[in-house]
Amino acid sequence: MSGSAIEPALSEVSAWDLFDANVRVGRSGVHGELALEAPDLLAEMDRFGIRQALVSHFAAEEYDPEEGDRALASDLSDRLVPAWAALPDAAFLQQLALRSPRAVRLSFGVKKHNFSWAAWCSGELCDYLQQHSILTVIGCEDLEWNSLAHLLEDFPRLPVLLLETGYRSDRYLFPLLQRHAHLYFDTSTYVAHRQLESFVERFGPERSVFGSRLPLYTPAAALAVLATARISDEAKLAIAGGTLRRLLGRAAA
Amino acid sequence: MKSPVPVFDCHGHLGVHPDFPAYKQDLEAIIQVMDLLNIEVLAITSTRACYNDCPRGNAEVAEALRAYPQRFRGYVTVNPNPPGEALRELERWSYFHRPPLIKLHPDLHKYPVSGGHYRPVWDFAHQMRAVVLVHTWESDPNCGPLLLGPIAREFSQAKIILGHSGVTWRGHAQALEVAAETPNTFLDITGSQSHRIIIERMVAQVGAQRILFGSDMPFLEAAMVLGRVLSARISDGDREKILRKNFLSLIEEDGC
Repeated sequence: MSGSAIEPALSEVSAWDLFDANVRVGRSGVHGELALEAPDLLAEMDRFGIRQALVSHFAAEEYDPEEGDRALASDLSDRLVPAWAALPDAAFLQQLALRSPRAVRLSFGVKKHNFSWAAWCSGELCDYLQQHSILTVIGCEDLEWNSLAHLLEDFPRLPVLLLETGYRSDRYLFPLLQRHAHLYFDTSTYVAHRQLESFVERFGPERSVFGSRLPLYTPAAALAVLATARISDEAKLAIAGGTLRRLLGRAAA
Repeated sequence: MKSPVPVFDCHGHLGVHPDFPAYKQDLEAIIQVMDLLNIEVLAITSTRACYNDCPRGNAEVAEALRAYPQRFRGYVTVNPNPPGEALRELERWSYFHRPPLIKLHPDLHKYPVSGGHYRPVWDFAHQMRAVVLVHTWESDPNCGPLLLGPIAREFSQAKIILGHSGVTWRGHAQALEVAAETPNTFLDITGSQSHRIIIERMVAQVGAQRILFGSDMPFLEAAMVLGRVLSARISDGDREKILRKNFLSLIEEDGC
């Protein structure tokens, strides 16, 4: 990655060692020309100084988790860190364990992988994820707030990264963050006026992680929010990648 | 990060909202953020008026204009319900700006922008060559961008800003379709959805002169939209049009 390629308006982010928590790769049947294969995705990351990204594959989300994970494996590099698809299925779990996962992305949604978070369905899977401190990524649209609360109560040590909470979520998000120490969220859609800096003033920088929603959104949006937040440099570095690296490091350990 | 040119921002608010907490939304806090990002002027709408009370909300805008005349411009927000109130409000606050700046929120007021109760407003806008900012959302029965094509043709002297340009990826396509067919429509780029390559696409399809910077401050984060514009793969000349020149021209000010 070349620092000189970074967009001049956002050149300050070149010192942040950015790790993007919310990226997908591959062809999409829904998002058409916005989707990017790995080489173009990496080029777009270069434009914005994003050194690493936690990625899942559109093929896993939109078609077949197993095939999507195979495609994801072929795209990996030291810059693209996998968030594997996972299902509440013993054989699938066996395959997943062979990958020594540091992160998974669970797609509970009825129009996605269509399974329940509850212990009677996902208990074995969530036990495994919790036992190995595997970062469990969940899109906000895939799990309504009450179900998320139950999941966090049933698996209190499971590290959960909630993606795309939207900016209208604070009245749900704050009580859950206060009750559950292992809940985190990404900044890609946390974009109300001075919302991120107000959050850090109240909760500190450790519960939010930078996410761009590449390739659908431009990273410029979430980066500009972080760059102009009136918070300390240490807080910016934690959000930019420090916290995510620590979370993934726990799973590796 | 800040704008290299002082921004004239076509889409701002004043007030709070019912469905999530508002942060740092008082006038002084807004001006601090404007200074941080180099936004010279913000054209504001009363959020109270968008939700439930136009007369009281427009009065709040009047106070803001009195307090900070150099930093704010004021839209008169009108509601088609009850019939007759809209024209009274336009008359009452006629000193806000010439040409008049009018805000319509057919989504929150739950009435189609093409409905009969809005016709007196469109007639007024046509006669006064007013600038009308309309909240839009993809395919919405009250405020879908495509509803504005026939209105723009019939009331051709009104200058219509498609607020948020339909918001979604497909909403932007609808807004672009309208803008390509009607020269008196303009595309406001504020919105919570920051799709990649959309600004480049808008410039390529209708030209930078039809695109306006809007922040939605203090509802949305202004830096988000500014970051999108500053990093878009467009010429610096086009960027300056979007950030400043186009809205200045639309509201017939020289910016000096």
